[in-house]
Amino acid sequence: MAAVAGPTRAEALSLFRSLLRTAKQFSDYNIREYTRRRAADAFRENRALPDAAAAAAAFAEGKKQLEVAKRQAVVYSLYTPKSKSVMELKALIKNMD
Amino acid sequence: MAMAAARRALLAHLRVPVARPAAAAAAAGTVPVAARRLLSSTTEETKGSFLDKGEVADRVVSVVKNFQKVEPAKVTPTAHFQKDLGLDSLDTVEIVMAFEEEFGFEIPDNEAEKIDSIKSAVDFIASHPQAK
Repeated sequence: MAAVAGPTRAEALSLFRSLLRTAKQFSDYNIREYTRRRAADAFRENRALPDAAAAAAAFAEGKKQLEVAKRQAVVYSLYTPKSKSVMELKALIKNMD
Repeated sequence: MAMAAARRALLAHLRVPVARPAAAAAAAGTVPVAARRLLSSTTEETKGSFLDKGEVADRVVSVVKNFQKVEPAKVTPTAHFQKDLGLDSLDTVEIVMAFEEEFGFEIPDNEAEKIDSIKSAVDFIASHPQAK
């Protein structure tokens, strides 16, 4: 198999950062937290891939997921939930005491 | 009494449009820092001013202490994320994102890479005019 260049460390971290930034745009608490958690879990899972080809494949998959997340953030923004999640309200009450 | 106040604040919050959660959170907080920030935001935001380094240090430390994987007792103003707190590069990315949220400005990739300790975070944020 021809040598495939894996992503550099900086590229991988930059993709992770982009995913986290996109995750923050979801107005629904559950989706926002899921996207953040899913990105963090996937990067941890793939932290020690055996070769450059596997790393390049994982990186390409991550980029694809970033596009999905960006698109869905726009779609979900049209259907913003009317009330906040109870998890967000709890955080609010804790701040007040 | 406290409950009534909490309830009123909560009801007021429920009517706030979702697009402005940051402003609502600042209004609801009783932390003096949040109040000070809110009162001064109109004048400071327009011309851009630097935050007091001591205040930045306190807020940075509390953000790091609130990070899930960190033992709050280990957090000191000189702690290094990877050497002292046992965090990896992915955790560091998440912490820098938390700083962005706390201080309300975006840290570009090339600057975010350089932040690897509480001290470097404080230095960068205190020297950034948009931090609030």
